[in-house]
Amino acid sequence: MVEKKLLGAALGALLLGTVAASADTIKVGIIGPFSGPFALQGKNFQAGVEAFMALNGKSVKGHDVEIIYRDLPAANPAQSRALAQELVVKDKVQYLGGVYFTPDAMAITPLLKQANTPLVIFNAATSAIMNTSPLVVRTSFTTAQTTTPLGKVAVDRGIKKVITAVSDYGPGVDAEVAFKKAFEAAGGQVVEAIRMPLNTNDFSPIMQRVRDSKADAVFAFLPSGPTTLGFVKAYNETGLRQAGIKFLAPGDLTQESDLPALGDGALGLLTSFHYAVAHDSPENKTFVDAASKAIGSPEQLSFPAVGAYDGMNVIYKMMEATDGKQDAEKAVAAVKGLSWTSPRGPVSIDPETRHVTQNIYLREVAKDSAGKAYNKEIETFANQKDPGLAAP
Amino acid sequence: MQIEADTRSIPALPKHRGGAWRDVAGILLIAVAGAAGYFLFPDSLALLTRVTALAMLALSLDLVVGYCGVATLGQAALFGAGAYAAGIACVSGVTEPLSLLLIGAVAGAAAGLVMGGIMLRAHGLAQLVLSIAIVQLFHEAANKASSYTGGSDGLAGLTVGPLFGIFAFDLWGRTAYLLGVVILVAVFAALKFVVASPFGMMCRGIKEDPIRIRSMGAFVSPVLLKMFVISGAVAGTGGALAAISTQVVGLDSVSFELSANALVMLVLGGIGTLYGAIVGTIIFMAFEHVVSAINPFHWMTMVGALLIAVVIAAPRGLGGLVARLWTPSRHGERP
Repeated sequence: MVEKKLLGAALGALLLGTVAASADTIKVGIIGPFSGPFALQGKNFQAGVEAFMALNGKSVKGHDVEIIYRDLPAANPAQSRALAQELVVKDKVQYLGGVYFTPDAMAITPLLKQANTPLVIFNAATSAIMNTSPLVVRTSFTTAQTTTPLGKVAVDRGIKKVITAVSDYGPGVDAEVAFKKAFEAAGGQVVEAIRMPLNTNDFSPIMQRVRDSKADAVFAFLPSGPTTLGFVKAYNETGLRQAGIKFLAPGDLTQESDLPALGDGALGLLTSFHYAVAHDSPENKTFVDAASKAIGSPEQLSFPAVGAYDGMNVIYKMMEATDGKQDAEKAVAAVKGLSWTSPRGPVSIDPETRHVTQNIYLREVAKDSAGKAYNKEIETFANQKDPGLAAP
Repeated sequence: MQIEADTRSIPALPKHRGGAWRDVAGILLIAVAGAAGYFLFPDSLALLTRVTALAMLALSLDLVVGYCGVATLGQAALFGAGAYAAGIACVSGVTEPLSLLLIGAVAGAAAGLVMGGIMLRAHGLAQLVLSIAIVQLFHEAANKASSYTGGSDGLAGLTVGPLFGIFAFDLWGRTAYLLGVVILVAVFAALKFVVASPFGMMCRGIKEDPIRIRSMGAFVSPVLLKMFVISGAVAGTGGALAAISTQVVGLDSVSFELSANALVMLVLGGIGTLYGAIVGTIIFMAFEHVVSAINPFHWMTMVGALLIAVVIAAPRGLGGLVARLWTPSRHGERP
């Protein structure tokens, strides 16, 4: 029975800890990957939240705001539901936020109505999530939203034939479909579509197929991290860059935290995305200063932080509207159509879809005066909605 | 006499004296613990439901590893088969929870037949590698067939009807938890019967000395295959329970990680005793839950430390440790 006693003691300690919070405190439960291979993204969530609270105070209308973090290291819907349920039922949170992976969000949305709790998604980027509950608001992006402008960009730059190469999983297929649709609508032609297994390490056969296809450019989508590094390396080493074959991708591939590892090989890559840490605006400067302080080392700062920062803005607005009372419908209604200037530029919450409408930027990886690589914004596509939600 | 030399296999040997009474007491204990969980932690029922589903995975793994001596790191393939079968059936219109559990069990058993059929062709290390390959193939198949499984986005939109038409699966998770406990107790009781049967004895015999069993005139492979099918049905039931209570099925349910975690739970609790599977799952999940709530950023280190401590201090698992503390010294009973 030794372990049962220990267990009891540990659980007891946990219960005491949660009871100690004061009465007039609004609690917000944030679920994200705070450990494991995606810990950096979770760290960015936390940095965004802390930056927002440092700049806007830790209370709303006299109600203290308390954040409870819960770790979900990888996509795991069952665990996600268990965590959300416990945050709502035991910790009595009034708001749920965070969520990095789509299946995790899908597991939480059926609970929201009964829980009377809105969910503000800081990342999970599949269009369909928004249709699963009227109490979901999203401040990140969708793959279709960030990818679609690339179709026009490609045609404008005289690219007629493109080969797509994406990792064979949900977001990869979404990116492929969105790009093909936009590119062909603009008059281009996708000559071949390659789907690579997620754990591909040797990309030279893929590069050979790209070369053989006689396409003007390759459109790529891979999960950020080592696979992207391998893909970009192969693109350079097999001479595709020298052969003049352009490289197009959504901005996930050149997120700032990966740029040092990509090195000079990334220079000149064209990506489209909703946020670059280098975005030039006073709002972004304030945000980057505060978030860098929160995350410790500025090189780790990347897009999930801005999703979290704006997500907290939405949650604060919800708290103002409900004045500390738990009323999910009123809270969500209060932020429909809300517009503000985010570090990424002007944004608003679409009243129909509850997804964020925002500028998408075309960026090129360049070097600043200090020799550090960054995403240089060269073209702006204003007020983009999520095309993936247009026809549910 | 072989037995003298083989002391490490003692816990796997059948216990004759008072065996039946002890089993009844054990089953009652699990039922009481389940009821206690309901009243002690009414706010964490979703987590506790997850424990019951994973306990079935650990139990199914124990059947194969602990009773047959077949090393596998691919047990989640069977769990996932049950979860996806129940999930797909639910999306296509079967919403009665007990039917979904049955579908999960059948799918798990079918997957067990396939997996056993392949794995039993190899031995030792090759067998282990095969098990990893199979779970990876299942994983990739679930990822590829995204029009049925939702791929990496997960299979969502499961609306499970109320149990017996009365008890809905709601936010508080009472129905799901009680269903989970009842199913777990029933499965446990059935398995106690299975492992004590002549068939169960045969499995243990094969684990100890397959050559001897073969020279006795018994066929080894069909016996093990039968156990694989039973194991698959148990894992599939667990998977279906997870699908019903979560209402989403993700690729993690057919992952190598889940298989490895199940083995860790089993080692923690003690291999070769059905109690060990349940104790291990509870300890692992509770520890993970408590530590990750206290420190969401560095809790994995603590879990690793616990594992090392248990493996060094109690090589037979915590279940084995408890059994040793409970049962008075049996020196002199052995031949």
